[in-house]
Parts: sequence; C-alpha cells; structure tokens
Amino acid sequence: MKQRYINNFVFLILMLLIISSADAQRLVQGTVIDARTGETLPGVNIVIKGTLRGTTTDFEGNYSIEAQPNDKILVFSYTGYKSVEAEIGSQQMINISMDEMSELLDEIVVIGYGTVRKSDLTGAVSSLKEDDIKKTTSNNAVQALQGKAAGVHITTTSGAPGAGAAVRIRGVGTFNNSSPIYVVDGVILDDISFLNPGDIASMEVLKDASATAIYGSRGANGVILVQTKRGTIGDEQPTIIFSSEYGIQRLAKKIDLLTGRQFAVISNEIRPGSFNNVDAVPNTDWQDLIFQTAPIQNHQLSISGAGNRSTYYVGLGLYQQDGIIPKSNYQRLTIKLNHTYDLGEAITIGNNLTLAPYKQRNAPNVTYAAYRAQPVLQPFYEDGSFGVVHNVGNPLAELEYSNSYNTGLRAVGNIFAEATILEHFTIKSSFGIDGGMNKATSFTPAYTVYNPDGTASQQDNEFSNLFKGSSENLSWLWENTLTYDHAWAKHYINAVGGYTMQQSRSDIFNLSGRNILRNESDFWYLQPAYILDEANNINMLESLFNGVDANLYYSMISYLFRANYTFDNRFIATVTYRRDGSSKFSSGNRYSDFPSFAAGWNIVNESFMQNLELITALKLRASWGKIGNEKIAYFDRFARVQSGLFAVFSNPDVSYPAASYGKSGNPDLVWETTSQTDIGLEVGILNNRLTAEFDYYHRITDDILIELSTPGHLGNGQGQKVRYNAAKVLNSGIEFQVRWREVRNDFRYSVGLLGSTVHNEVLEIGGNTGIDSLLIGGYLANGQPVTLSRVGLPIGAFYGYVTDGVFQNQEELDAYPHLSQAGVGDLRFMDTNNDGRIDGNDRTYIGSPIPKFIFGINIELQYKAFDLSVDLQGQTGNKIFNGKDVVRPDPYNFESYVWDRWIGPGTSNEVPRPSFGGYNYSPSDFFVQDGSYVRLRNLILGYTIPPSVSARLGLEQVRIYFKGSNMFTLAAYTGYTPEIGGFDVLSNGIDYGVYPIAAVYSFGLNVNF
Amino acid sequence: MQIMKKYRYIILILITLQIVACRDFLDIKPQGELTQEAFPETEGDALLATNAAYATLRSWHYHSGGFPILDIMSDDAHKGSNPNDALSTVGPYENFTHTTTQDGLDRWWTSLYEGIKRTNVVIEHVPQVNMDTNLRNRYIAEASFLRALYYFDLVRAWGGVPLVLTTNPDLKLPRSSAEEIFDQIERDLLFAASQLPGKHQYTSQDLGRATRGAAHALLARMYLYKRNYLKAEEHAMHVIQSSDHYDLEPIFENANGHLGEHGIESVFEIGAIGVEGVVGNQYANTQGVRGTPNRGWGFNRPSLDLRHAFDPDDPRLKLTIIDLGDVIDDVEILGDGTTPDITYDIDGNIIEVECYNRKVWIPGTNVASQFGHNRRLIRYADVLLMAAEALNENNKPDQALIYLNMVRARARQGNDEILPDITTTIKDELREIILAERRFELALEGHRFWDLVRTGKAAEILGPSGFEVGKHELFPIPQSEYDIAQGSLSQNPGW
Repeated sequence: MKQRYINNFVFLILMLLIISSADAQRLVQGTVIDARTGETLPGVNIVIKGTLRGTTTDFEGNYSIEAQPNDKILVFSYTGYKSVEAEIGSQQMINISMDEMSELLDEIVVIGYGTVRKSDLTGAVSSLKEDDIKKTTSNNAVQALQGKAAGVHITTTSGAPGAGAAVRIRGVGTFNNSSPIYVVDGVILDDISFLNPGDIASMEVLKDASATAIYGSRGANGVILVQTKRGTIGDEQPTIIFSSEYGIQRLAKKIDLLTGRQFAVISNEIRPGSFNNVDAVPNTDWQDLIFQTAPIQNHQLSISGAGNRSTYYVGLGLYQQDGIIPKSNYQRLTIKLNHTYDLGEAITIGNNLTLAPYKQRNAPNVTYAAYRAQPVLQPFYEDGSFGVVHNVGNPLAELEYSNSYNTGLRAVGNIFAEATILEHFTIKSSFGIDGGMNKATSFTPAYTVYNPDGTASQQDNEFSNLFKGSSENLSWLWENTLTYDHAWAKHYINAVGGYTMQQSRSDIFNLSGRNILRNESDFWYLQPAYILDEANNINMLESLFNGVDANLYYSMISYLFRANYTFDNRFIATVTYRRDGSSKFSSGNRYSDFPSFAAGWNIVNESFMQNLELITALKLRASWGKIGNEKIAYFDRFARVQSGLFAVFSNPDVSYPAASYGKSGNPDLVWETTSQTDIGLEVGILNNRLTAEFDYYHRITDDILIELSTPGHLGNGQGQKVRYNAAKVLNSGIEFQVRWREVRNDFRYSVGLLGSTVHNEVLEIGGNTGIDSLLIGGYLANGQPVTLSRVGLPIGAFYGYVTDGVFQNQEELDAYPHLSQAGVGDLRFMDTNNDGRIDGNDRTYIGSPIPKFIFGINIELQYKAFDLSVDLQGQTGNKIFNGKDVVRPDPYNFESYVWDRWIGPGTSNEVPRPSFGGYNYSPSDFFVQDGSYVRLRNLILGYTIPPSVSARLGLEQVRIYFKGSNMFTLAAYTGYTPEIGGFDVLSNGIDYGVYPIAAVYSFGLNVNF
Repeated sequence: MQIMKKYRYIILILITLQIVACRDFLDIKPQGELTQEAFPETEGDALLATNAAYATLRSWHYHSGGFPILDIMSDDAHKGSNPNDALSTVGPYENFTHTTTQDGLDRWWTSLYEGIKRTNVVIEHVPQVNMDTNLRNRYIAEASFLRALYYFDLVRAWGGVPLVLTTNPDLKLPRSSAEEIFDQIERDLLFAASQLPGKHQYTSQDLGRATRGAAHALLARMYLYKRNYLKAEEHAMHVIQSSDHYDLEPIFENANGHLGEHGIESVFEIGAIGVEGVVGNQYANTQGVRGTPNRGWGFNRPSLDLRHAFDPDDPRLKLTIIDLGDVIDDVEILGDGTTPDITYDIDGNIIEVECYNRKVWIPGTNVASQFGHNRRLIRYADVLLMAAEALNENNKPDQALIYLNMVRARARQGNDEILPDITTTIKDELREIILAERRFELALEGHRFWDLVRTGKAAEILGPSGFEVGKHELFPIPQSEYDIAQGSLSQNPGW
C-alpha cells in the first residue's frame, strides 16, 4: 500500500514513466560468514549492483535473491566489514566470507559528483558521521563540526534562537564572503540551517584543491558535502526511530560590572557632587533583569526502509528554542522525504526533498543596554512605570514594546535519474531547487519613558511603527554528468564529466508605516494612511523598498571533469578541471578555468611493507590546484545611477525628484582565485586502532574581490566603497587528526585529538589600483575603526595605540610626548614611530583576531549499557577587542576592573583615572584581551535499557541520556563568551555586545522501534 | 527493452536542450536601476541630474558633519547640548584640540566632493542631451554655481585640494594650490553669473535655484576672502544695483525665519520640508531647543561672549538667543533636564548658561517641523555688509556707511533711541565697526570663524580658546583621506 503510494508520488513528478515489465528471473542464495571466526553474519545487506534490488541475510546468515538475466554482480555490505562483490554468472549458490574492516581507511568517502574509497582518495577530506552530527544542541548541523574536523573553525556568533555561525575552513582566505558552500544531496547552497541534523547521514568537509576544484569558482572557501539519510536497500523491515530532547538554557556567564555604590563613588571622582550619599544609591543589576532561563526542545521521528524496487526515508522534526532574553524564540518544523526507485534495466530515479517552515521572534539586543545602564538607576518608579535610563534607554521598556517576527519556508530538493548506458558508463541528470520565502513583521507602539519630573525622556517613540517585509528567492540547478568506472587487471579508473546550469532569482518587498490605529496584532496591517509623513504627504520614499537580493541574483554555467586513476592499489592520480561562467562578470571576463592535480602513494601496499604487521595503513598524498570565489553582489561590475534623491524648491517648499551618478562601478572585475598546495600523510597502526592524518596546506588567494575605500575626490560619498580585484592573502598551516580506539569485551573507548594551525598574512592590498594599500574596518558604533589590514599583518588585525602604563605625575606627563587631552592619571600612549609626538600615526598593530591554533579533544567510552562522550574544543593565539567598552559618548556603567583605578601617584599603573569617555577610550591595546579558550562543548552520558526489557516493550532499542552543552569554559576574556564573530572579516573578533551563548542542560530519549 | 531505451533518449534530449538554451543566460543587468552610461539621456534626466546637485545641501554630512562646527570654533558659541553629549566628537573643535581623525572632518570632505561629482555629471553630460538650449544652459550654469559653492567650502577649510572637473577623475590626484581652486571658483561663478536668470525671472516653483544674484554675491564673498576688495566691491554692488529686487526684510526675525523663506532678503537658501527624512534638513534640529519643548539636540549654544558683545538694547539679541523662560509662538522654553541651567568654573564664575540658537527656530509642534528650516546661505544683509567692508577698504567710507547703516536701521525696528547711525569715516575704526556689525547681524549663521580667519583676528580673539596661528586657519586633511592617498596628499602645516 505504502509502496504504491510513494511510487505514485514520484510518478507524478516525472509524469512520463510507467512501470516496466518483469523478465525471467531466477533465485540466487547462500550464506555469509565472518572470514576470521567463521560465524554467520545476520543482517548483511545484499544488493544487485547498479540496481536498487536487494535483501538482507537472516539470523542464520542465509539469504536468497531473485536475479534477472542482466544482473551481473552482487554487492555484500555490512557495518564494520569490507564490502565484497561477487559475480553472479550462472551460479545459484554464492557463499561469502567477509573480512572485518580496517576502520577509517576503507570507508567510502563522498566527494563532489561521486564517491571514492578512502584509500583511493588524493584530497584532504574530513568526514563526520551521523552519531557525531546528532550530538549538537543547535538547530544548525554545521555546529556539529566544531572541534570535530581538523581545519574547520566555527564561531557561534550569537546565542539568539535560530542564529547562525561563522564557518571558516583553513583560515580566512578573502576579504569578502569567506564562508564555504554546502552541497546537500547534490544541490549547491549557501547554508544548511533548514536541515534537521537528525536527518543527516554524513558530512564531508572538502579542504584541498584536489577535492574542491570540481566545484571551481565556488570552492575556494571549502565545500561541505551533506548526505541526508536514505533507506537501506534490502532493509524490508522499516526502521522507525523516535528521539526527543528537552533542555534548559541559562546564561553561562555574567559580566562583572560596578555595583551602584561603586559607580556612585567613581562618578563623584569624575564629577564631584554627583551623589551626596553613595551608600544610599540603588544597586540595580540590569543583567539579572534581562536574562531568563529558557527551554529548548527537539523531537523527531523517522521511518526508513526499502521495498522491492525502492527505498524510502520519511522524517519529521520539530525544533523549538526560547531565548535567554525574553521575547526571542525560534521554531522549525522539518519534513524530509528521500526516495529511490529502480526502474529496471539499470535505470534509477529518485528524489530528495526538505520542507522547513519556521517561525522566529527576535528580541532587540538589550545586552548592550544592560551593559551600559547605570546601576544607580531604578528599572521602575514606585508607581510601576518604567524608570528613565539616560542615554541608553531602559532595556526593560525596549523589550516590553518590541514585537518582531519572522515566518518563512525553505524548500530544497531535487529529482534525479541515473542510467547505465554502455558498459562502465553511467549517465546522471539531476534537477534541484532551493526556494525560500520569508515574511517579517515588526511593530513598536508609541511609548514614552518619562523623567522623574514628568517630562519625556529621549526614550520616546512618538508614533507607533509597523514594518512588513517580504522576500523570496528561488534558484534552480541542473546538472548532467557522465561517469566512467572501470577496473581491469591492476588498473582502476573512475572519471566523471559534465556540465551544469544554475540560476538564482530573488525579490524583496518592504513597506513600513506609522500611527497604526491600535496596538493589537489584529491591526498589524498597512493602510495608505500609515504612509503619510509629518506634512501629510504620502511618503513612499521612506517607507518602501522593492528590489532584488543582490547576492541571490545570478546565472552560472559550468563544465566539469575529473579522472581518478589507481594502479595496483599503490599509485593514485587525480586530475580535476572545471570551467565556470558567471553573470557577475562582464562578458570578456566571464569564464575562468580551475584545474587541479593530485597524486597518492599507498605505501602500505608496497611489497617491502608486507611484513610489517604493525602498520596497517600508510598513504602519502599531495595536491595542487586553483579554485575560485565569486561571492559578490551581482551588480558590482556596474556603475549605477542613484535615484531617491530630492531637491526642495518653491514656497511653500515642495520636493522634486533627483538622480545622479552613484558610486563608481568596476567593469574589469575578474574571478578571485585561490591556489592551494596540500601534502598529507595517513597512517593506521595496530589494525587501525591508532589512526592518524596529517596535512600541510598552503593557500594563496589572489585577485581578491575587495571593496576598497576610494579617495574622497572621486565623489563616491561618505563610507562608499568600490569593488576591485586587489588583494592577496596567504593561509598556511598544519592539520592533524589522531584517534585511538579499542574494544575490550564490554568496554570500548576512543580518544580523538585534532588540531590545526593557521598562519594568516596579507600579501598585497590595493594591487595595481594605486589606492588604499591598507584596509580599515571594524567600525565601532561611534564610527571609529579598530582593524587595519595591511601587508604583513593578518586580515582584520586590530590597530590602535599601544599603552605603556599610566601617567603617574606631572613630571612624567611632561617627560613624554602625549596628546593634548592627556593628563596625569591617564593612559600613556607610546610614540611607536619615534617622531617625538603622539598622533594618529602612532596607532599600530595590537593583535590578531584569527586564532593561531584551534583544537578539539573527543573522548567516547562505552561500558555495557552506559555510554559517555566528552567533546572539548578551543583555540589560542587570537585576541578579542572589547568594542562595547570603548564607545562612550555618555556616562555609562563600567566593567569592574575600573574599581582598581588610578587615584593618585603610585596607585595603579594599569587602569587610568576614571572618565566617562574621551581620551582614555581612544582605541588602544588597553581594550585588547586574550581570546584563548577551552570549552566543554558537549558532555553526554547515556544508558541503553537492556534488550530484554526493551523487547518486552516491543521496542528494539531504548536509550536515555543527559547532555550538557557549553557547561564549562576556561577563558581569560571578560565578556559573555570568547567566541566572537563579526559581521564581516574586517570586524572579526570585535565584541560589539553580543547576544550571549547559553549553557544547555538537556535530557533525551532515543527509541528504535 | 524499448521502454528503457526511450528513457535514455529522453535524458539525452533533455541534456541537448540544456546546451541550446544557454544563449544570453549569463547576461544580467541591474534590476530596477539605470547604469551611468545610460544617464542623463533625456531632458527629464537632465533635470533630475541638476536637481541632484542641490540634494547635497541638505545632507547630514554637508554642514561640517551635521553640526554647525564653524560657530562652535568661533567666539560665538559653545558645543552645547548636555555636557557629555558628543564631548569627544564635537567638543574638541571648541578648544582646538581636534585631530586629523576628528569626527566630522572626513564626512564633510567626502560630501563636498560628492556634491562636486553631481555638478560634474551636469556640466559634463548635459551638453550632449538633445533639449531646449536655454534650459540646458541654465542647468549647466546652476551646476557651475553649486560646484563653486562646494569648492569654496573646500578651499576655506583645507586650502589647496584635488581639483576634479570630470566624473571620471584619476584615482590619484595631488592637491592643486589654493590659487588654482580659487581660479576655478571664479571661472565657474563668472559663467554662472552670465548665464543664470535673476531671482524674479524664475517661476515660483523654481524658487531656490541658483540665480545670477547668488553668483555675484558668492563672488563678492570669495574676493573678500582673497582680500581683493576692488572685485568684492564690484560684485557686491552688482547685486545691490541689479534689477533683481533684493531688499532687507522689514522684520529682522524673518531674515532667517519661516515667514521670510524665499523672501526679498533671501539670495540663496536651502529649501527643506519639515519631515525627518531626505527632504528635511537636520541642520536646525541639531541646534534646536533641547528638552521642553523638544525641538532638537541643542548644539551650538550661544556664548556669553556673544551675549555680552551685543548692545543690550539691540533687538537682535533676543532674536539670536533663546533663554529659558522665553515664550516664543506661545511656547514656553523650559529647557533640558540633563543640562545645567548655569555652568560655573572652579572659581565660581559663570561660564555658560543654558540657551539656544533663536535663528533656527521654526513654529511647529514637534521635532520634525524643525527639519523644515530653510538655511539661508546668502542673504541680502550679508551682501550689504560685504559691500560696506569692500568700499571702506577701497577708501569710499561714505558709500560704505550707507550700506552699513541700512543694516542698522533695519535692526532698530523703528526705535530711534537705539543703534544710532555710524558716522565715522576713519578707515581702521570703520573696519572694526563693520566686522562687529557682521557679528551681531550674522551671528550663528556660520560666518564668524571665517571672518576672524580672513581678517587675521583669529589669533587675538580665539587664541585664548586654543587657536594657533599658522595651524588652525585650516583643518587637517582627514586622516582617512591622507592614508588612502598614499603620499599623493600632503598634510597641512602644523598637523
């Protein structure tokens, strides 16, 4: 019944297929045993190669399967064992003995447009399997890679529900978008936040040129391949899995700020007489007021299996997270449908589909307000109304009146057909779509927070505001490939060639209004009357935006080829080539070629190694290649006309439309290219109980598509930048991944250790444009930049004054050059260029936001029914710029270090005399802190109910567990979390006042029916 | 199997189709936007482009970074607002501790050049547009006037700057000399003066566009700056003697106020609509009364020095400074809770009282109305005083007295007991009197700092607040521009 139902579904999609007729069949049967012990193996999967027809062995290891005349080979596969292929020929009885797998090195690894045995792989690829992926507490599966894949650096930039993460593979290679691309079941995407981690079977991170070059212009920042779960051929008994997790999140760490009394004392020092009685002031802990504990839950159900000629996977997931700041939450439903159908005659069709409707509520980021609000102020007056918080706004009022929602749907999927057309040749066509729509609504009622004297404070929203935004995007990707796969004698060739087309379209429509009739959500719909301005004119200019999403509007055409050749299981060579054409470049610069070459040597298979029982795997590999990056706005090459300007003439004043040249364009843009060299060594010792993989990489990204500030005289206007191919960056380092695993009776354990180093250095900026040899960025809220990238420094390096203590007395002040604002008790800035005076030119390099070393330690123990896993992860060698402390246009609260201030000669040589802003808050290394940390990412303790008990309940397996995420962090940084991202690579590592990351304590249940 | 073969054919056919479908697949143009090659093409485009050159005048960055910093640097005003507001950003201008990275400098520089680019679009491309010749000439002349206006700000603030006369200048452009910039301003203004209509020749809906009167007045201002008094006299007198019907507003308040917008005294003003947005102008909002009524931020606070310089009977005093307790348009001024009513120094002397700039006051009920203030860049009283100054320097004191006394007569508002006519013809004495009159008449209108610099009095008057001769006459080249230029821009002396 179900079978026909599913068939109908796919036939509707293709609309042209009918079930093929059956042919003469015969029965093949046999027994499968363990080659070493001779024991029979139950549950071995048996598939007729090139089809979806298969079966599994029974409890006695016996099987039987019907073979058609064209069927040639049976493939036997079993977890932990090497797969075996057997020619059917005319046999009716085929008995098989299977060898236990030397783990890791004989895995099948998914690579772009195909798969490869790990031992035949010449590229650098990190894999993550199902068990590791489902450990993440996040809604985003990419978080599971944190501390699990060497060379992958993930920063959770915000604890807001549904927030994303910054993913960097092998350093920061470019000044623009440095995020990798994702390929989910063959569909190329920019993120995977829509996927339920529980639906994912494996993730592979492609790191070197040999692995990524097949993705050409998209691969320069790395490629993350995601395979979602499918039914297993032959698995006629449905596998039903239910899992459920419920957790509590709480703020992992508070920032130490001054108490009310301390603040009053310091205020009196800055401005005598501010507080008459410092012991009588209130002591409001604003952090306690804005944070809450909040639940998080995740439930999923999946059913998978196989029918006679088909496999299926149906998954349903619900993820729900409340924020630790009130009024923020995220809810996502995922529906996953994956099917494959065998049409006979070596033709297979199938589909993958994910539908993910979501709802999100966004709180304003009141953490910054809570950080700044003076503790001597009361959140509420005695009558219960909101108390005024000068210059900051009362964060509780801001929360109270905030109503910001997103709802949307993401749909990603593809259909494909695969056919063997000649011997050794397979043709495949896949058509995929990625569609998204999002609707945003935000409403703020008119409200006023009053001063104690009854006058309005600056926190005064004169009119209610309503914003409605709608965006949609749809991209399609059509890929056609021809694969040649042939083994003969000592030779094995696998080659794939093809071409692809992709088109992305988007549309955004935003409208806002004010003076909404009533505050209730029933009235959150726009009317023409809401779009009137103060002068009662229809004001579309301020309220309307309609356009495309500049990052999601392009077309691409690509040609690809890869050949992998293995000789005698000893020598491997890979050649990859891709030619990409993109609409983002002018016609003359449109196409570019991305080749790569790689070689591998399986030393372990050499005759001289055969007597070394100790070493079970040893492979040396090297690759070189070029990969590209084209993640720029579709219009960057054009110089556009700026409309939306106005002149005002006449009496009374009337506005007249105006238009002029906007900023300059650059029609000469070409692809950004990365040349990468990789040398790797893979080792397996003691029957692969110890496995290790080492890689050296060297990436140079050239012609970086970078937005440069242009000289003011070009007339591009304040803050406008123009895109050029004008920078070069080096990333190099070493990666290692070592794992020891052992099984002793009831006890199995494994210990993994991985790490990677990054040396990041800007080799060139400005290129031959002749401008801007340094790149200023990391602008603070007051417009002050605190990063400067220039040749010889890392990307986004912090810059500012270097401090050398505090001026203790007038003599010292007079003895050193200083800025005119400096006085006794203030920070002493160093004359770094030794010109005898302090000025802007003395600002210099004061730290790098890029960690020099990132690492992970993963421990897994299993004893009888208990399992424990511990994941530690951390980084070192980077700095954090405490940006939230620096911006002080008004008197704000201070971090508690200010209490140890200078109050006279000899009192402090670290912390200057207190001030509410000004000189001491010039960006300097005073605000730069060590960014190193070690975090207990996950600790999971599980217990599997004895099979006898679960069997009585009619269940196959039941496991319960406790999971703690982010429970413990060792870090010197004073902020909420040492994981500080940035909105671009030039603002990396600047703490602007983040939404803190929560510690999560959860209980979960897994049931296999 | 026939059916299976069919499937294979279908796949092959689809694949072939794909290749065929590729033509033009990669050609994508900007959506909803013109590219610069296609603009301006039509007569309508030419008008849009010309209008855009005016848009810069209302931009936040144009008024030296949103704040009337020039008055704050003079003896007429303090920073204002509450003591901490913008203390580190605007505050340093008051005591000349501003630096090369001071907030506002780079924004002013880039915005002036943005305005210049918009004028160059017109001057370079409108000549190729097929349209009415007279109109085309007028558009080009309007743009020339505005280009001169923007360059005049640049040359006064920074001296020699890169001279850009095309929409496609070299990326690296060294500073031209101040002389070269002045020469270009002169050329543009003479052209504008010869081509532009008089103010009365515009239809009412075009009021606010550049006029020949404005061009002559700006020429006079520029020549005074260069101490070319003969030419200054010539152009100031051209405005006075022209048929363009300029005169003083009978009521002083209207010279800057709402009722005098585009009135008889207005030579060039910046139109603005009372809306918080691109058609409004935040210039008055930054200076408007802070607190109650809430009309703005209260920057550019009139100084005690200015207050005490006035003849206490001068009616212009109350029309320049708003004090707490004043009632204007039936609104009582209560002021701001976070600003001390009176600020004392450590010896107990009063150094500042809470007060506000009266000249940007706009009748209305809310913050937005303040955005509708039409800033007068050039008004007739200024032209009269420029004429007086030039005439005195050219040894024509009798004529100078006529124009000086016209201004005083209007200020008198019919009260013959006050502000008697000036009679002295002693050149040095009269020079001082005219300069003082400029201060009373034009206070808080952005003239004082330049007047002190060009007359060489800045050292004497602003020295106590930190002005250093040989340094503070000019601003520093913004550090960001200096850095980007990689050596092609030299820094001003002393910075």
